[in-house]
Amino acid sequence: MLKIEHLSKNYGDKKAVDDLNLHIAPGEIYGFIGHNGAGKTTTLKSVAGILQFDTGEIYIDGKSIRTQPLECKRSFAYIPDNPDLYDYMTGIKYLNFIADIFNVSAADRQMRIRKYGDLFELTDDLAQPIAAYSHGMKQKLAIISAWLHQPKLILMDEPFVGLDPKASHLLKEMMREVCDAGGAIFFSTHVLEVAEKLCDKVAIIKGGKLIRSGTMDAVKGDDSLEDVFLELEEESC
Amino acid sequence: MLKLLLKKQLLEIFQVYYYDAKKNKARSKVSTGLHFLLFALLVFGLLGGIFTFLAVKLCAPLIAAGMNWLYFALMGLIAVLLGAFGSVFNTYAGLYLPKDNDLLLSMPIPISALVGARLFGVYLMGLLYSAVVILPAVIVYWVTAGVTLPAVLGGLLITLLISVFVLTISCVLGWIVAKISRKLKHKSLITVLISLVVIGAYYFVYFKAQGMIQDLLANATVYGARIKGAAYPVYLFGSVGIGDVRASAIVSAAVAVLFSLMWVLLSRSFLRIATATGKVARREYRETHSRHRSVNTALLCREFSRFTANPNYMLNCGLGTFLMPVCGIAVLWKGSELFAVLDAIFAETPDSVPLLLGVVFCGFASMNLTTAPSISLEGKSLWLLQSLPVEPWRIFQAKIEMQLLLTGLPMLLCIVCTAAVYPLHPMQLLVLLLFEGSFVLLMALVGLLLGVKMPTLTWTNEIVPIKQGGAVMITLFGAFGYIVLLFVGFMLLPGWMLGFCRYMSCFVAANLFLSVLAYLWLRKKGVARFSAL
Repeated sequence: MLKIEHLSKNYGDKKAVDDLNLHIAPGEIYGFIGHNGAGKTTTLKSVAGILQFDTGEIYIDGKSIRTQPLECKRSFAYIPDNPDLYDYMTGIKYLNFIADIFNVSAADRQMRIRKYGDLFELTDDLAQPIAAYSHGMKQKLAIISAWLHQPKLILMDEPFVGLDPKASHLLKEMMREVCDAGGAIFFSTHVLEVAEKLCDKVAIIKGGKLIRSGTMDAVKGDDSLEDVFLELEEESC
Repeated sequence: MLKLLLKKQLLEIFQVYYYDAKKNKARSKVSTGLHFLLFALLVFGLLGGIFTFLAVKLCAPLIAAGMNWLYFALMGLIAVLLGAFGSVFNTYAGLYLPKDNDLLLSMPIPISALVGARLFGVYLMGLLYSAVVILPAVIVYWVTAGVTLPAVLGGLLITLLISVFVLTISCVLGWIVAKISRKLKHKSLITVLISLVVIGAYYFVYFKAQGMIQDLLANATVYGARIKGAAYPVYLFGSVGIGDVRASAIVSAAVAVLFSLMWVLLSRSFLRIATATGKVARREYRETHSRHRSVNTALLCREFSRFTANPNYMLNCGLGTFLMPVCGIAVLWKGSELFAVLDAIFAETPDSVPLLLGVVFCGFASMNLTTAPSISLEGKSLWLLQSLPVEPWRIFQAKIEMQLLLTGLPMLLCIVCTAAVYPLHPMQLLVLLLFEGSFVLLMALVGLLLGVKMPTLTWTNEIVPIKQGGAVMITLFGAFGYIVLLFVGFMLLPGWMLGFCRYMSCFVAANLFLSVLAYLWLRKKGVARFSAL
């Protein structure tokens, strides 16, 4: 579903991502962990086609984001760490805008907006301007908009930040449903307990380099993910 | 603390001169200097030039009539009007709505320091607008009446007093807007309507003032005596400029008292207004049948949503849309009388009236610059467009289409109204339509080109890209320059010898040629640049 090959991205002299290789298969929830500034967001933005990378390739469903960006973008949804949405729109206008861009039929969008709006208890607020939303409400709206067009791949940067416990629980269930239906999820998080319980596979990145990746069991063994992460951090210092 | 906040405020105002958003690094000293020089040339060279011309026209006759104070009273009042008019629209947003309000309020910063720093930003805008009138007026006075100590001190004092007075007026109006807008439902629309009324009143006074000035020059002594009798404060205000000690003391004290009152009002209410969430009733969502729209329509609707949600955007970049229908109706109402007068004035230069129509319509079109700040306005939500499956060109297309619709349709209405009143030859009408159409297209394309080339994506207040962005400034003043060239070329060079149709056809060809160049740049380099932002 997602193949990252020898991805490198520099900001001036600083190497943000250095020769990163990852492969995410359909049906997998892939966690991406690392300390602040490790290169998680840069990787996710590169995959989403927002950042132009220096070397390497990214394939989504066999298509290169570099040469076939539109085809790739039609098959994924991206939720950034800070959902700066269109403040001048109401929630429903924004969802309709996204549905129009992804060519979601009127009946499907209506059904999905109702379903996810009710699940996240956001339906009543959809007529409000996004400018009046709290961070959590914006995050919920960004999640609904991502699920609205039923993408094969969902990219999320710190998706649980700002969500209330109920919404977090709901999101985890929705992530599992996507993967059970043959989709894939690639997300970054600092909440290691969530990653440990939720992910099929995990990748640990430090200083732009991948320091460990694989199935959750293979990466953590008998220890907790937190112990392994801290140990790896110390080892690579 | 205040010094620190003032520094932040200055950095915010002049960010575009120090920081190159395109390269994401600080500009070199030379580049910063050149940017400031360009800005000074545009503001003081062009706008200042207009008011220097007015000052030269007024100064000598009024001095000769012994009405020196009247000269300063007139120029001073124009400066106050322009200053307050220019800065009132952004005072509310600049004072109460900056995005860093919450951050600064959470810090151990005294409210007075925060208000002071915010006021400084408003003051600078007011100073800028009023100085382009009063500084040329003072200099022209020094040159005409001679440089004496009272004249120098008076000139400097009146400049200072006007700037403080403009600040006071702007803040009071900003405070009123803040109080009202907390309870309004359709804020954007009402703000625009109120602003249009203010603009209408401003222009009414402005045009009346033109006639009054002529009359005043002819009867300066009589009017001077009348004003002195009926509006003594105006006499005192004007006397400050000539260095009258008593008038200076009284006017300074009055301005200081008004400013102090405004300061008290503002510092008492600032926190409440800046942190208010409003008491507008919450709109409940009711599910309706949603229509499926094409990508192009969705993008165009998105542009219109942004435009209609932001009064600053509407007023600063779409004023022509509101004024053109008004102009059309006015032409239907009073046009025949006006055209009869114009025909008589330009009897010796044939085709001058159609040319003037072209110039006026161009002026309206140049008020619409929605494409110029549109890239910068994407701001932090740019990631959305970049991650969606949409070609950048389609995004550009939507931005261009909005400007074409907002300008083209009212323009057509205006031309149709004019054609109904003024007997234009069918060929003249066709050329006029082609010319205005090509100019509107050129404005939209060039505005977008500059918007892509000079984006400011990291702003804390939308006013920054809308009013202070390099793209907006260059598009606006570029259009002014174009209009001057169009007029001067016909009247002086003399283009009228070519005849209206041939002369305008040259401009149509130039517009289309430049539009093609801008289009090609946007399709190739612009698209790549946008993707890499």
